[in-house]
Amino acid sequence: MAMKPEDVLRAIAAARGDAICVPTMTTSPAWRTLAPDDLSIGCVGFMGGASSLGLGLALATPTRRVIVFDGDGSLLMQLGSLATIAGAAPRNLTHLLFKNGVYHTSGAQEIPGGLTVDFVTMAKGAGYRKAYAVTELDDFKRRLPSMLTDEGPLLVELHTGLADKTPMTDRSGVPFNQQVDNLRTRLTKAG
Amino acid sequence: MPESIPAPLIIDTLKDTFREARGASAREPLGWILSVPDTHQKTVLAALDKERALRVVTCATEDEANAIGAGLWIGGEPCVLMIQHAGLYASVNTLRGVSMDGRVPMFYLIGLLSRERDREPRESRHSMVRFCSPLLNTFGVPHAIMEGPDDVHFIPEYFRLSRERRGPAAVLVGLETS
Repeated sequence: MAMKPEDVLRAIAAARGDAICVPTMTTSPAWRTLAPDDLSIGCVGFMGGASSLGLGLALATPTRRVIVFDGDGSLLMQLGSLATIAGAAPRNLTHLLFKNGVYHTSGAQEIPGGLTVDFVTMAKGAGYRKAYAVTELDDFKRRLPSMLTDEGPLLVELHTGLADKTPMTDRSGVPFNQQVDNLRTRLTKAG
Repeated sequence: MPESIPAPLIIDTLKDTFREARGASAREPLGWILSVPDTHQKTVLAALDKERALRVVTCATEDEANAIGAGLWIGGEPCVLMIQHAGLYASVNTLRGVSMDGRVPMFYLIGLLSRERDREPRESRHSMVRFCSPLLNTFGVPHAIMEGPDDVHFIPEYFRLSRERRGPAAVLVGLETS
């Protein structure tokens, strides 16, 4: 049985420490409830950009872990970012891919290729330091500490079901420009 | 008549621009170049390969470059996006979402590939040259065109402007760099 995204996010919230988190699409509503802080920034208004936004943050803050909560449909929109990330080789970037095979936010239409698309192979082929899939919550919890400390770039394909909420069914949350300001203030003050 | 601008002049200007942005905390790398390789600015890109003071990230798409630039700026790092007019057209949604709606300062050096030496860009035979400035105007992006070495002052000016207005600003590179 596929993992519930909310269970995965709950485990990350408990373990992340001071990591910067970049949710996108269906992870966003749950994440802002679980971690309502200014060390997260949602990729809002430019679908597909979470991995690149995370790369920029990782390059700017090399002593801090950056965790991207990507979606399979989202990553397909900027699939080349796998190669860009591998080329830049940020050691502090963890790229978590929530794979459900559909564009949940827009009505759960199947993504091109559906669940057969193998992002682990693609990440390895692009040059990620490590990439693997996780299908069970217990396995995810067991491996989570190493996901947050292993040298990146690291991609973990998480086999998940659908989240309870999407950005269309829950439109709450801080506007993107405010999230930008909050995170920048936090990071630049930290020096 | 427009003139080609030597790569070392552009690179030195970028370094000065980044030094000014960092102020007293200037250190290496002085700043980041986010590049989607552009024929028009290839001499600059080649010279950047030998630079230690500037770090180049080659991006697969201009969409990526915009989002990476946002992450860098949020983390306190200055950057410049070096792209081509065609890349601007390809990435306007990200420019809008990141730099305009997100109010992230973003400075672009945009190569006008195929611009004719004897024509104003608006009179070019090539739509990709002709539409660049009108597109930037449509999105309200302030911009200037460098028509020769005397115009490199636009680089720090429009970089500064992007920060002051918290949004996009661009300098177009009129002729292929030398």
